Amino acid sequence: MGNFIDFLIDNLTTFFNNTGFANVESGHVIMILFGILFIFLAIRYEFEPLLLVPIGFGILVGNIPFDLSANLEIGVYEEGSVLNILYQGVEKGWYPPLIFLGIGAMTDFSALIANPKLILVGAACQFGIFGAYIIALQLGFEPNEAASIGIIGGADGPTAIFLTSKLAPHLLGAVAISAYSYMALIPILQPPFMRLLTTKKEKLIRMKSARVVSQSEKIIFPVVGLLMTAFLVPSGLPLLGMLFFGNLLKESGVTRRLAETARGPMVDIVTILLGLMVGVSTQATTFLTAASVKIFLLGALAFSIATCAGVLFVKFFNLFLKEGNKINPLIGNAGVSAVPGSARMSQIVGLEYDSTNHLLMHAMGPNVAGVIGSAVAAGLMLGFLY
Amino acid sequence: MKKLSKHLAFFLILPLCIACSSRVQNPRFVINEVLVINEQNYVDDYGQRSGWIEIFNNTAKTQDLGGLFLTNDRSNPRKYPIPKGDVLTKLAPHQHVLFWANNKPYQGTFYISFELNPDAENYIALYDESGTKLIDEVTIPKGQLPDVSWGYKTDGVKFNREGANMLAVLEKVTPSTNNYTLDKNEKVERFKHQDKFGASMTITSMLVVFLALVLLYIVFKLVGKGSVGLNKRKKEKDTTVTEGVKPETNEIPGEVLSAIFMALHEEQSDVHDFEHTILTFNKINRNYSPWSSKIYGLRQTPRK
Repeated sequence: MGNFIDFLIDNLTTFFNNTGFANVESGHVIMILFGILFIFLAIRYEFEPLLLVPIGFGILVGNIPFDLSANLEIGVYEEGSVLNILYQGVEKGWYPPLIFLGIGAMTDFSALIANPKLILVGAACQFGIFGAYIIALQLGFEPNEAASIGIIGGADGPTAIFLTSKLAPHLLGAVAISAYSYMALIPILQPPFMRLLTTKKEKLIRMKSARVVSQSEKIIFPVVGLLMTAFLVPSGLPLLGMLFFGNLLKESGVTRRLAETARGPMVDIVTILLGLMVGVSTQATTFLTAASVKIFLLGALAFSIATCAGVLFVKFFNLFLKEGNKINPLIGNAGVSAVPGSARMSQIVGLEYDSTNHLLMHAMGPNVAGVIGSAVAAGLMLGFLY
Repeated sequence: MKKLSKHLAFFLILPLCIACSSRVQNPRFVINEVLVINEQNYVDDYGQRSGWIEIFNNTAKTQDLGGLFLTNDRSNPRKYPIPKGDVLTKLAPHQHVLFWANNKPYQGTFYISFELNPDAENYIALYDESGTKLIDEVTIPKGQLPDVSWGYKTDGVKFNREGANMLAVLEKVTPSTNNYTLDKNEKVERFKHQDKFGASMTITSMLVVFLALVLLYIVFKLVGKGSVGLNKRKKEKDTTVTEGVKPETNEIPGEVLSAIFMALHEEQSDVHDFEHTILTFNKINRNYSPWSSKIYGLRQTPRK
């Protein structure tokens, strides 16, 4: 009887040692609170819910404490575990190109094709990436780490994950969380700079309505776009190739089913996996560091620099444009590639000053150019530093 | 603006065309290091010393050496056929393999059918499966010292950017391992030391980003003009055919349409934002059971 009781107690002790309660640390609790905050923000305020819900829940999953020495093969960083297998898409960088395929299949580039000069606004906003790169270098980050932090300024989650998985995998969690958080916070981050950097007169500029774009132009765009950009920056091929391929599926008119799958079920599945696994990867032991805090601050800075660069570039560009052809600087912020959040911001701020001046269509041009621009910038940095 | 576009196109596309010129490429397999006189150096699996040839997979994919030919005779490219079907001939990306030049091919896959001559110049070449296409060749000069190898300082880099052959005496003999040990990412180190403030990275990258997007701008400016011209001509043609019929001019501009759709979207989102949850039981009359409905067992007709 005594042996049986000892065995029972031993069993219960083993069980207790395996529970989360026995292994919990303060870091786990902090991360779990972060996860709950993300879920709350996504559901209550609808801040990028499609991303923040999986990421938030992923944070909860990734921070359930367990006994690492028990060799349970359940943790995301334990080779062979289910979570580790799903994490390969993030670690090896093959989720982001699949997301880009979906983005290509759902993006209408006609605003850009109709008014190609807006492409340049998308290029100017990439200064946010390099502004943050410079500051990160000064804060003591290595060039590869600084590049991964800078890319947050591209406002493109998949691109940020793709680049960071190659250049600085140890920062992946912080960069991904930072990139997606700030994309969700665009309504808070961008308007103050947009208002501050433009005059009343500039805010009221009315832009010419865009011409109708023919189907042939829409078909030519992905083919020429790929050739032009990928020849220049082959290291951006995984992203650019998939983006333009997705767009060709959409515009060709003969692959409707493929386009629908790419922008529907496929992108949804990959978004679920990507979001969840990014969240899971933020295990307190690897995530809660001083570097993560710096990355968060630098991410906000990168977004702000990108917004300012876009608005100021439009103001500068206007100096060379004739009256009637001028661009409203309120669409400058849309050059960051958060589609369509930043273009929607241009519309909302524009309407505050003139309720009949609709900027959404015009802002979509720089917005989609930003996607191409940030993919090119990521490819460049990959080429330089990988 | 039109003139400017044309000039820009010329100046931007011209360098691209020039860049298409023939830059010397490093081979996919490189004869990476050669030791002609082996007195005190690496010993083979039989405990013997002989000259050796190291081959390096200079690509990011696994490549099979099986079926290729090694030779030291310009007139006989098929002198030693590397046996097919040996898993060890499959070289992982950027990995090496050593061939012993002892003229005893019966000892195994990596023992070849010729020796290196310590008193003369040694020509060594690697040919493809057909035995006609040269993959890589190297000539080790006469007068070799014992236990001193020749090869490339950086593995696989046979030609530098200017196209010069980098073959040289190596400081250390490194059979079956890297000629140059990498303990850090050289590219990162270069930027760390030469671009402390990130200015070079910023300027280069911004220039390239602008260049890429300016090229797109120019192309689509031209394509757009062509398309508008084409549409005009088509319209003119149509109006001459349907003379007297007024073309419609009351089209709603795109941005107004988008504003309408956005307003509708926001309105609908608002309507469905918060609703009281009421649980009720309603009797539903069904004349058929959904479980046995045929519709669930059929695929939709595929749309084009």
